[in-house]
Order: sequence, then structure tokens, then C-alpha cells
Amino acid sequence: MPNLTINGVAVSVPEGTTILSAAKQVGIHIPHYCYHTHLSVAGNCRMCQVEVEKFPKLQTACSTVATEGMVVRTDTEAVRKAVRGALEFLLIHHPIDCPICDQAGECGLQDYYMTVGLHKSRYPLGDKIHKKKVQDAGSGIVLDAERCILCSRCVRFLEEVTGTRELQFFRRGDHSEISFFPGRPIDNHYAGNLADICPVGALTSRDFRFRCRVWFLKSAESICTGCARGCNIEAHFHEGVLYRYKPRVNDAVNRAWMCDFGRMEYRKANEARLLAPFVRENGVEKEMPWGALMPQVAQRLSDAVRTHGADTVAVIASPQLSNEELFLVRHFASDLLGTMNLAFTRRAPEDGFSDDFLIHPDKNPNSAGARLLGIPGEEAFHAVAGRISRGEIRALVIFGNVLGAFSEKGTLELLSKAPFIVQVGTNEGVVSRAAHAVLPSASFVERGGTFVNCDGRLQRFRAGFAPRGKARNTIEILVDLGNRLGAGWSFSGEESVFRALSRSEAPFRGMTYGSIGSLGREVKR
Amino acid sequence: MTGPLFDLAVVLIRIGVVFSFCMGLVMVFVWAERKGAAYIQDRRGPNRASILGWTAWGMFHPLADAIKFLFKEDFVPDNAHRAYYVIAPMFVIAPVILSVAVIPFGPDVSIFGRRVMLQIADLNMGFLYVLAVSGMTVYGIVLGGWASGSKYPLLGGLRSAAQMLSYEVSMGLSLVGIFMVFESVRLSHIVLEQGELLFGVIPKWGVFVQPIGFILFLTAQYAEANRTPFDLPEGDSELVGGYHTEYGSFKFSMFMMGEYLHMVVSSVIVATLFFGGWQFPYLHDTGFLFPGGFSVSLPEIVVLLMRCGSIFVKSLFFTWMYVWVRWTIPRFRYDQVMRLGWKVLLPLSLANVFVTGLVLLLLER
Amino acid sequence: MTVGIKKAARPRKMSFPEGVYLVEIAKALWLTMSHLLRNIVRQEGIRTIEYPEVRREMPPRFRGLHRLMKREDGTPRCTACFCCPTACPAKCITIVAGESPDPRVEKFPVRFDIDMLRCVFCGLCVEACPLDAIRMDTGWFTPPDDSREKLVFTIEMLLEKRG
Ligand code: SF4
Ligand code: SF4
Ligand code: FES
Repeated sequence: MPNLTINGVAVSVPEGTTILSAAKQVGIHIPHYCYHTHLSVAGNCRMCQVEVEKFPKLQTACSTVATEGMVVRTDTEAVRKAVRGALEFLLIHHPIDCPICDQAGECGLQDYYMTVGLHKSRYPLGDKIHKKKVQDAGSGIVLDAERCILCSRCVRFLEEVTGTRELQFFRRGDHSEISFFPGRPIDNHYAGNLADICPVGALTSRDFRFRCRVWFLKSAESICTGCARGCNIEAHFHEGVLYRYKPRVNDAVNRAWMCDFGRMEYRKANEARLLAPFVRENGVEKEMPWGALMPQVAQRLSDAVRTHGADTVAVIASPQLSNEELFLVRHFASDLLGTMNLAFTRRAPEDGFSDDFLIHPDKNPNSAGARLLGIPGEEAFHAVAGRISRGEIRALVIFGNVLGAFSEKGTLELLSKAPFIVQVGTNEGVVSRAAHAVLPSASFVERGGTFVNCDGRLQRFRAGFAPRGKARNTIEILVDLGNRLGAGWSFSGEESVFRALSRSEAPFRGMTYGSIGSLGREVKR
Repeated sequence: MTGPLFDLAVVLIRIGVVFSFCMGLVMVFVWAERKGAAYIQDRRGPNRASILGWTAWGMFHPLADAIKFLFKEDFVPDNAHRAYYVIAPMFVIAPVILSVAVIPFGPDVSIFGRRVMLQIADLNMGFLYVLAVSGMTVYGIVLGGWASGSKYPLLGGLRSAAQMLSYEVSMGLSLVGIFMVFESVRLSHIVLEQGELLFGVIPKWGVFVQPIGFILFLTAQYAEANRTPFDLPEGDSELVGGYHTEYGSFKFSMFMMGEYLHMVVSSVIVATLFFGGWQFPYLHDTGFLFPGGFSVSLPEIVVLLMRCGSIFVKSLFFTWMYVWVRWTIPRFRYDQVMRLGWKVLLPLSLANVFVTGLVLLLLER
Repeated sequence: MTVGIKKAARPRKMSFPEGVYLVEIAKALWLTMSHLLRNIVRQEGIRTIEYPEVRREMPPRFRGLHRLMKREDGTPRCTACFCCPTACPAKCITIVAGESPDPRVEKFPVRFDIDMLRCVFCGLCVEACPLDAIRMDTGWFTPPDDSREKLVFTIEMLLEKRG
């Protein structure tokens, strides 16, 4: 454990720690571009120079390992001068196109220019070297070679993380530029991370480009719903519209990355949403206020139970729901309706694409949670489906937008057998086309809760903004409906449900939102 | 001509003439207000409305206004009490018109050998009638404020009730001195009395025998007419438009007209009580008779015209005074209004009565 | 540290003649009357501008309706950088950015609406623009119109205006 002082602050760090990370531990920020926590050290941007006593020259903090008795200073005139010089060099050929650059607002050059630069350019505008702009680099990445500061983060990412090595430096000196081999653009499922790690606007995301200025965005800590991995992410939104996901560092799950499929999941919150409750009478949709619809639904359900018996109602849950929601769904089905016909179905018939890194075959974020909460999966679902197709089910409650085990045609055929179907869902789809009462629920980031990922890690996601349109939180809908069936629930918000859940469910016993934290926790198995 | 028919005709003509005189004055008044305000504030004032290209110095604007008011949608707000809402403006305008009745516009004249008063009704209770009748306008205002069913009018109405009641007291009291001096409340009598001379030099006008009374009365009149600096019932800066916020079209114009008519009438009254009414200084039935014994004799008709013109000019001046004061003095605060009314005007008018009585008593000795 | 307390002058107590108010009123009346008479006699003192016929010369920095500038080739100079909607305190600028076919332009406004009914004419958008693409030098006020929609100026309308 070497002990050193940085700007007079004593710190002791594990063997092999660099000065840059040691400084970070005591809250001293050392400017850097090429250094990335989850990539190897390159030491080529020279922004991280610091003064170390007894060293004749300034050292790069990202590559110098802390040793016993080191005395580091980051605030001397020599350091300032060197860093400003490094920045000025990086900016020599940088184009002045911040107004059109998508990185503006989260750009390393802008940030450090304001904190350590503030110099007047000494380089004539006309002498700037121009490189190729707006190149389609493949996999949804736009490359602007001119803006690149040659930090090589992207090169290292493609070498060390994906191993695909599409990007390389070409040419020399002032003319060096990042590019790909002709006919061999970026082609992997993690390319989106390139736009994240590029500290400047050289690599930007085609999907997010020009959609929204980053300074308008607000963010919420979240979990990707793309697959059972449950990558930790930040959801960025503005005025009730989701714009993008960015990975959040969690070394136990996704390190600092996420896949491109997951990145596109946000679109579902914006497209084809169910925004107002409606009923379908004789094939005609009719919008209806919540206040009028809820008593009707409750009435139909309790009528079915009373006249035909609890066996004739069924509840189909979804592993897209959070643990809190599933917990209520289970109580709703077994306690309030008193039925055994409860199962969940995933959103795809079988396992999807997967790889050996992050992408998991199960495309649902909470299948593990559903099982832990005692809601049976596909087998039980097929049993329920069988009962439906035999016409034994008189009232059916479906959570979710699709019945993954069936094709579209199959679903419609199956659902035509049930005389009364209630859907609690977020998006238009085959279920909303068949349901008799549609209760629009809050989509991802419009609500909070917890998921259990494929490795049994309980992770929390938070609400960012209020549900769109007239949609309501699923918990709210369940509590409302449950109380109409005599549940007497007084839950409000996911945290109150989680408290009840952690009291009664063994795997979650003793957990609180506080103890889950922002990085999650393993559940007991 | 037979007696009764002649009398009837005379009455009708008198009413017609006086009424149209007052209404005409209202028109002129509105014009003078706008043009006067403009000139006082270094503006140009109304100068757009024209007939065949002739703008008549903006004189057509009141006319255009009248036409506009007549053709605007006549609405009643949802929350209003329909009947009262409609009645209120009438309540404002009617008492004012009624009070014109007792004002003498000239001496008695003889037409076809009959004596005819240039006054609609020479009541022996004279000014008391004016006080009684003009006190009624407050009902119109409060009613309008209340019947509108909206908060600003209600506040405006309440304010004006408090204000008008407060000032009515001092208004009445400030005149007691005049009545004591002239020993009558009959207006024609008061005017006749004012034809005499004081110490043989100055005309025995109310303003000379009752200077304090005059100032008190004038002030109270401004307050009664809801006129700047006492226009708190309208208080546009805090009450939107005061008691007539919810009024529009012809009903609003009735409020307007009532207000202006009130001012015209009170100008005539001030002229009558304090400035000798139709009396022209040193002018007697036969012509001028100056203090030094110097005299000019004039034909009867000239004398009559001079006398009628005299009250006309005096009233015009006081009407103008309303405009003039409005564009000079800013609005009082409400507590200031109340303080002035109760703590200054009332004691002063009481003192005035007392002093007048004392002086009269001493003179009699 | 000394706290800088500034003693504000209390209003002077009124002298008796002032307190009586009458003299002061008379003075005030004289003042207004002098204006009136002066304006009747000669009209030079009158400041009124006969509006539709005569227009006030706009001061050079007058902030009127906005216009968008064009490049030499007639395309909008604006690159949809969103600086102006960021600066706008009234939140009345709506921009939708698009990818330009010309890689040297790269980004351009597909939509650029200014809601003139919301605009407070503060000029911050002009101040914020890095490209001098938006100006408020048309010398015009918001014109009256009979619908709200017509007062949301679109990019076409804004490009058409002259300074
Ligand atoms: S002038 Fe001010 S309020 Fe109007 S658009 Fe520009 S920034 Fe917004
Ligand atoms: S600030 Fe200028 S360039 Fe940027 S969006 Fe506004 S008008 Fe366009
Ligand atoms: S971060 Fe150390 S050289 Fe780039």
C-alpha cells in the first residue's frame, strides 16, 4: 500500500494504482482524454501531466504508478502551462463547428478549454488541415475525422473489448486520421459504445444525431430492458420523450458497456404507445375515462369468478414487469381472483441472439424475478393457453403487449376464444388489438422498480418522468383494481410495495432500496 | 292661447331645453376632457373621426362613441343578477336628470304677458331636493357593483358607497352656511339674493360670503361625482374598472353619461349657489349700474341673454374645472380619502356653520 | 467588514401651506394650464406622432420581428445549433434539426418556428447565435392577426423578411 500526497493531501492506494486514479480517490480531477477506466493505458494525449517531486520532467498521471512517498502536484504553474499547451496542440486542426457538432455540451474539448485552456488560437484559420467529415462508419456510427484528437480510445475499445479492430490510424503527422479499411466498416454489436467513449465529436451516433441537444437532457439511473443481463444504464430524456440510453459503470454486470440492441430499446417508450384507456365493443374501440372503466373491469372480473368459478379466470404476467408489479400481480391472481391460472410468457417464442459478452438469449429483463416470486413460466403458460383455446377461460387479464410463445396469428386465434380480455400494457400490438378493455400503463423510465438479472442480481431502476398521455403506473392500476375487488391495499409507489415484498418473499428478505444501492445486490437463492 | 295648454307647453319646452342643454354639455364635456387631457399632456388628442373629411377638432369622437355603444352587443354576464344588473345604470342616470329640475337658468321673464320662470320647478325645499335626489345615485352604483356578480365591481361598489356617504355629510353641512346667509333653501331665492352688493362694491355671491363653504362643497362634489382625485370606485389600477367592470355597450354608456351629467349638474349648482347663478355682476334689470354711480342702460332682451349666458359660462367653467383637476391631481389613497372626508371636511364644515352663525348673530346686534 | 447602510432621505415634513394643499393644488393647476395654453397656441410642444402616416425612426438597436439570414446560395445560414432556444427565456423557438445532404453544411433546421405571441423581444436569441443567422432588425412590431397559429412564424416566413 504505497502512501503518497497529491496537492498536499495524503492518500494510500493499492499497489499498481496510477496517480490519476489515486487523485480521483481524493476528489482531485486530473484532465485526461486517452485514459479510460475500462481500457488499457495509452498515454498519448498528454493532458494528464502532473509534477512529481524528484522527477526531472512532468509525468503523465494516467500511466505513472503511484509509489511510496511520492509527492504529486497538479496545481503548479508548470503543470498548467503544459496542460494548456497540450490542449492547444490538440485544437490546432480542430474544426470550429461546435454549432453543428452533436457532442457540444458533453465534449471534452469544450470542457477543458473552459477550465484549463481559455487561450487565443495562434493558428491561422486558413491553415487548418481538413479531413473527411460525415462518414458513415457502419453500425450506426458517424465518423468525422477532422474532429478527432487521436486519443485512440476507439481503437483500443475495438481491440480489447470487441476484438474486431475496425478502426485504425492512417497517415502521419498532422495528417494522421482515424479511419477504417475500404469496404470494412465497423461491424459489431457494441459499436454504440464508440460514440460514448469518444471524448470529442468524431464518433457520434446516427440514431441520436441532431435529435436533441444534450444540455436539455435529464437523466435517470436505470436498467436496460433489452435482455436478462440487465446492463446498468442511464436513460436520457427531455420533456417526456426518451432520447437515448448510455451505459453506467457496473463492474459486476456490464463494466462500462452495453449492446446496440439494448440501446435501441428506448424507442419502444416513444413509438406506438397506448396512451388512453379504451374498451372494444363489437370490434369498435371506444375511449373511456379511467374512472368509468375501472369499476366496469372489476365488475366483469368478479362476475366471472362468481358465476363460473375462479378456475375460469386467468392472469398472464410478463417478465417485463418489475418485481414489485409481479408481486402485486401474483396477489391479484391468487388472493383476489383466487385462480391457479397464473403464468408469465416471454416476449419472444424462443431464445434470441446471444454472445459470450453481454447479450443474453432471454430478451426479458426480469424472468428470474418472476420465477423467484413464484410465478411459473412457459410450461404453466402453455397449460393456461390450452385452457383458453378450449374455451374454459371466461375472463383473462394480460400484462404485456405480446404473447411471445405464439405468432401474431396464433395469438389472435387464441384470444378470440376468451370472451373478456383485459390488457395492462404499454404499446399497441397484437394483444391490444384483441383486448376488450385496454388499460395503458407506464412504460420504462416512466416508473421505477427492481429487476433480477440472469445472474440473480437485484437491480433498481428509477422513474424519470411522469407516464405519457393518460397512462398510469402499473402499480397504481393494480392497487386500484385490487381495491375494487376488496384487497384493501394502501400501497403508493414502488418502494412501499418492495417493503411488503421483502418481508414476505424469502429471496428478497431483509433488502431495502437503500441496501440495493445504485449497483444492485445478489439475491439469496 | 288658453291658460293650461300654454302652461303645459311652457313646461315641456322648459324641460326639453334644459335637458338638451345638459346633454349637449355632456357631449362637449367629453370632448373637452379628451382634448384637454391631450393638450395638458402634450399630446394631440382625438383627431381622427371625421365627417366628409372634417374632423372638427375631434368633436365627432363622442358622437362616434355614442354610435358605437348603441351598436355593441348588449350582454349580461352569467353571474349577474339580471334585473338589478339592467336597472343599475338607470338608477345612476335618473336622479341626476331629476336634480336639474330646480336649477334657475335665468330670472322670471314675461311672455305674452305671463310670468314664466326659467326653471323647471321652483320648489320651496329647493336644494334639499337636490341633496335628496342626487344621493340616490349611490344606489345605482352599489347595485351595479353587486348585481355584476364579480369581485371587482363589488369592491368598487362598496368603496363608492363608503365614499359617497362620507362626503354627503360634509356636502350638506358645508351648504348650511349659505342657507343661513341667504335665509332660504329655495334656489331661485338664493340666486336673487346674490344680485345684491356687499359693502356696496363686491357682488354678494356665495363664494364671497362663504369662501370656506365653497371650497368644502367643491371638494365634496368631486368626491360625490367619483371624479379624480376621488375616483376610487373605478380605481382602474386595482379594481380593473370598478363598479362598471362588467358593463358594456349601452348600459356602460349610461353609467358614463350619468357620471358626466352628474358633473355638469354639480357645476351648474356650484355656479348657482356660489357664483350668483344667472346674475351678472352689476347688471340690473335695466342695465349696468356700477358702484361709482356710473350706469349703462341696455334693452331687456340683451340683459336676459347676458344673464342666461352668465350661468352658461359659469357652468362651463366649472365643468372645465373637473377636467382640469382630473389631469392635474393624482388619485388619493383610500385611507386618505376617508381621512379627508371625516377628519378634515366634516370638522371644518361644522366650524363653518358655527362661525357663520356667530357672525350673523353679531351683525344682527 | 462594514455594512454599507445608506441613509435614505426621509420625505421632508410638509410646511403648513403645503399641508393645506390648496396652494399646491393651485400651483399644479397653473402648471397644467400653462401646458394646455401653450399647446393651443403653438403645437410644437406636442409629441404625438401621427402614427400610420408618420413613423418613428427606429433606433438602430430596436428589436423588432425576427428574421433568418441566408447564405449566398439562398439556404438558411442557421445550422440548428439550438443556442437560441437555449437562451430564449420565453421558450418560444422550436427547432427540428435535420441532416443536410451537403456534408459541409451537415446540419440544418428542418423546422424553425418562433411563437411571436410568446416572444418577449429580449433579443437573447440574437445574442446567442454564433452565426449571426437570426436578427431582429426588421423594424417591425408583432402585427395583429386573427388566429394564434398565424403568429407562429415558420422558417419560410422568417427567411423572407428583410432587414
Ligand atoms: S427575442 Fe427573446 S423571447 Fe423572443 S425568441 Fe428571441 S430569445 Fe426568445
Ligand atoms: S442560434 Fe443561430 S444558428 Fe443556432 S439555431 Fe439559433 S439561429 Fe440557428
Ligand atoms: S490521459 Fe494520460 S496521456 Fe491521455
